[in-house]
Amino acid sequence: MFVTDIRKDFYEVVANQRVALMVATDIDALCACKILQALFHCDHIQYTLVPVTGWQELCTAFLEHKEQFRYFVLINCGANVDLLEMLQPDDDSIFFICDTHRPVDVVNVYNDTQIKLLIKQDDDLDVPSYDDIFRDEEDEDGGDSGNESDEGSEPSEKRRRFDEAAIERRIERQRARREWEARRREILFDYEQYEYHGTSAAMMFFELAWVLTKDTKDMLWWAVIGLTDQWVHDKITHIKYVTDIATMQRHVSRHNHRNEDEENSLSIDCMRISFEYDLRLTLYQHWSLYESICNSCYTSCSFKLWTLNGQKKLQEYLADMGLPLKQVKQKFNSMDVSIKENLREVIEESSNKYGMKDIRIQTFSVHFGFKNRFLASDMVHAASALLESAEKEESNTTDNFIKALDSLSRSNLERLHSGIDLAKRKLLAIQQTVASCLCTNLILSQGPFLYCYLLEGTPDVKLFSKPLALTLLCKYLLRAFVHSTRNKRCKLLPLIMAAPKDVEKGTVIVVGIPPESETSDKKNFFGRAFEKAAESTSSRTLHDHFDTSIIELKTEDRSKFLDALITLLS
Amino acid sequence: MPTKDVSGDRISKFKNKGKDPAKRREKRITECVELRKAQKHDSFLKRRNITLSSLPDEEALSPHKDLVGYKLEDIVLDVNSDSIEAQTRGCQAARKLLSKCHDPPMKEIIDAGLLARFVSFLSLDDEPALQFEAAWALTNIASGASWCTQQVVEHGAVPAFIDLLASPMLHISEQAVWALGNIAGDGPVYRDVLIECNVIPALLAHFSPDTPVGYLRNLTWTLSNLCRNKNPYPPLSAVQQLLPPLIQLFHLCDKDILCDACWAISYLTDGSNDRIDIIVKTGLLPRLVELMSHEEFRVVTPALRAIGNIVSGSDLHTQLTIDAGVLNVLPKLLRHKKATLQKEAMWTLSNIAAGHCKQIQQLITCGLLPPLVEALRNGDFKTQKEAVWAVTNFTCGGTAEQVVQLVQSGALEAILDLLQVNDAKVILIILEAINNIFTAAGKLGETKKLSLLIEELGGLERMELLQSHENDLVYQAAQNLIETFFSNDDAD
Repeated sequence: MFVTDIRKDFYEVVANQRVALMVATDIDALCACKILQALFHCDHIQYTLVPVTGWQELCTAFLEHKEQFRYFVLINCGANVDLLEMLQPDDDSIFFICDTHRPVDVVNVYNDTQIKLLIKQDDDLDVPSYDDIFRDEEDEDGGDSGNESDEGSEPSEKRRRFDEAAIERRIERQRARREWEARRREILFDYEQYEYHGTSAAMMFFELAWVLTKDTKDMLWWAVIGLTDQWVHDKITHIKYVTDIATMQRHVSRHNHRNEDEENSLSIDCMRISFEYDLRLTLYQHWSLYESICNSCYTSCSFKLWTLNGQKKLQEYLADMGLPLKQVKQKFNSMDVSIKENLREVIEESSNKYGMKDIRIQTFSVHFGFKNRFLASDMVHAASALLESAEKEESNTTDNFIKALDSLSRSNLERLHSGIDLAKRKLLAIQQTVASCLCTNLILSQGPFLYCYLLEGTPDVKLFSKPLALTLLCKYLLRAFVHSTRNKRCKLLPLIMAAPKDVEKGTVIVVGIPPESETSDKKNFFGRAFEKAAESTSSRTLHDHFDTSIIELKTEDRSKFLDALITLLS
Repeated sequence: MPTKDVSGDRISKFKNKGKDPAKRREKRITECVELRKAQKHDSFLKRRNITLSSLPDEEALSPHKDLVGYKLEDIVLDVNSDSIEAQTRGCQAARKLLSKCHDPPMKEIIDAGLLARFVSFLSLDDEPALQFEAAWALTNIASGASWCTQQVVEHGAVPAFIDLLASPMLHISEQAVWALGNIAGDGPVYRDVLIECNVIPALLAHFSPDTPVGYLRNLTWTLSNLCRNKNPYPPLSAVQQLLPPLIQLFHLCDKDILCDACWAISYLTDGSNDRIDIIVKTGLLPRLVELMSHEEFRVVTPALRAIGNIVSGSDLHTQLTIDAGVLNVLPKLLRHKKATLQKEAMWTLSNIAAGHCKQIQQLITCGLLPPLVEALRNGDFKTQKEAVWAVTNFTCGGTAEQVVQLVQSGALEAILDLLQVNDAKVILIILEAINNIFTAAGKLGETKKLSLLIEELGGLERMELLQSHENDLVYQAAQNLIETFFSNDDAD
């Protein structure tokens, strides 16, 4: 069921309890977790934090904790499956689910006892009505005539004769029931067909903190990052992003206004969040402007930087702005202050000429003390890079999780900077991979979708065995492809990408993303399609990721799986 | 955190999860629905402000609008009135109540004292509508608990119904057949009361090749109820009367008729050898064997049961069954997907294996050893148990050469494997079989070879373990075997 009063029905319920916190490994979940941790800390609520990367880990974590805990909070996982069926919990385990995954499983929606959804009901859910999908069995069962004994057992000793009219009515009812069932299947099919995302989990918990009047600037910043994560990883529509940004902006002004008197001046330990209409240049304040332009999806795709012509255009563009190449190529921090002063306007003006009308986007930045300014998207990239870091040979998910979590605290700027370094490397790798895929025509049109397979041995292939990195690569690649292809039909196709996952086990990771377009509804049908294709070919697949559009697959089953997918979607 | 290393096969395992959950989801949904239902139900009652009562279901009466609001009191008034019209109306209302799917008010109607009136209506040959309604109402009351049937009988319904069988109106006669079936089905006492009243010839009044199939179905079922129940069995004279019509029914092709006819035969063969003898002599064995391969599971089950009963009779009965071709159909049934059928087929086989060595030879010739060994290895436990019996019977009655063939077909290995089961009785039967096999080996002078074979197959080890079995008989038997056949190792 949906929790309507999050304070009364969630927070006050867990207030004096020990809580198990199961957190998915995405940045929005991390931010939501930070906010909740801060609240729990504030109210001395004991909790245990368990990062979970997929369904299997969630099941294991639940089994390990179900004896000690009654209350489980699931962040960005659990909503889109029948959780009780998956975990088979005892009757007294209670699950609070704050998850952006849509559609929410109907059993979760209509279970009133154990499943509490921390999801806003006005969040574009379109849940089928109860009566359309569940039906009380009152007249149906037991209505069978006693005449028919069980197949093969002895006939009954006595038989009652039933009213023919009643029998006819029963047949009529059965027919009605069959029709109802067919309709139910149709409704559920429509409902479950597409996967998409709802309001950020971090924003949900920020709202809780606000309702409790315990919201702080840190919490607000995490909520902003959570929302920005949804934008960076392309989970929500542009309209949804802009709407939620507006909501966050109201909170930001409220906070700034509230604190005007006490700390209106910057000080070493202050924190100031501001709304910005800033550049869509990734990490530019922590890089050189030049490198940022080269490695940002928006600019790189617009110029087609993987072509000679694109490189030439970039030079013209820089010249148009009148920025000396020396300045542009040195660290942003060391650029002349005079250049930096109205840089955003200068860039916007030239970009407009070069067809990049959306070079600026509504976002937020934060100042930590005097020196450190970060855009929300910088934080997302840094934390994602830490979360999926493959630095050490045996990179440990829990370690990475903690590091990424740490990078979100302002007390741990060093960690954040190390994340930014990793993020730069990751963006470079993405850029290079995109260029090489396009130049060697690795993107194939398979009819109903585009397909790209990263071969074992491709540089940085290990990096792309991780879901966030591969998703980002996918998004960049599709955008770049749409900019480079002349085939109009191909511009409208979704993309499936496969990359080696585990060479020893012979598996690949497969990601599907919806078609690239400004007005895309970001609804992804690959989850269901993958399930069906796997089923029909009995391919050995592992549907373990919380996003159903990300799966693992045995390398040797790849071609039959794809063939089935083509047939299915054609 | 779970470890990262999970073996490769998890992928396939995970994929398969997709199916089982469907079932469990169903369960969850049901539970969820039930919760909702309870809530909904409460509010429903409150809203309508009604209480649960035995008021007739409006819907059930709706076809006759004049019956809306018609209560039990009204029925009593009408049934007890002098007007035929009112009586018919009351009777029909009562019949409709008794024909509801849920909670027919049998007791209420009996307590209202309506049975005597209903029985009296049965004899009103000029009022067929009333006759019919009364017969139906009484049929349904007789279908209730024994107490209800007793009320019907004690109001004199038996002779009335037997008279009604002769009604020229087929649907009325059929209703009487049905009612008498219910009375016969109550148990041996009423069954014999009916037989005493000469129900059998009366039942056959409308039995002809032109009789509609619906009528014949009811008739077959009623006849089968007259064959049913032991302690005591139906009188032999009655059996002699019942068999000719049954055998005629046996050659029709309606599944329901065949099903009930086969059950009737299975009841009649479930007795002493002289009763089996009567059945076998009618010459229906070939048809019965034929029906064992019927496409309809409901027919196969009673046919197999009857055959199983017959082969448990004398050697002659077994031989006649073999001659009728039973060994050709058994292999298919031994491999049937339904465990209950497998078990019954194996029980039949075990009884054939208990015959003399010529029959055992036929069993071998007809290729029954492979399915027997398969069942020993992979069958359902109940089937395995019967299969073990079959082996023991075989080794007891078979010649030494036949036993060798059995061992070579893999049966020895299979029964040695079964020594691990947790069922003392099965273990004892297996040990007996082993003993029998040693006897056979002794005749061929191959005792030593057999000991070695059993040891190789791990049987000795299992028998040694059995020496510490909690059951004394098992322990004794195992020890005897080991001492007799495995202890001269020291001499070597």
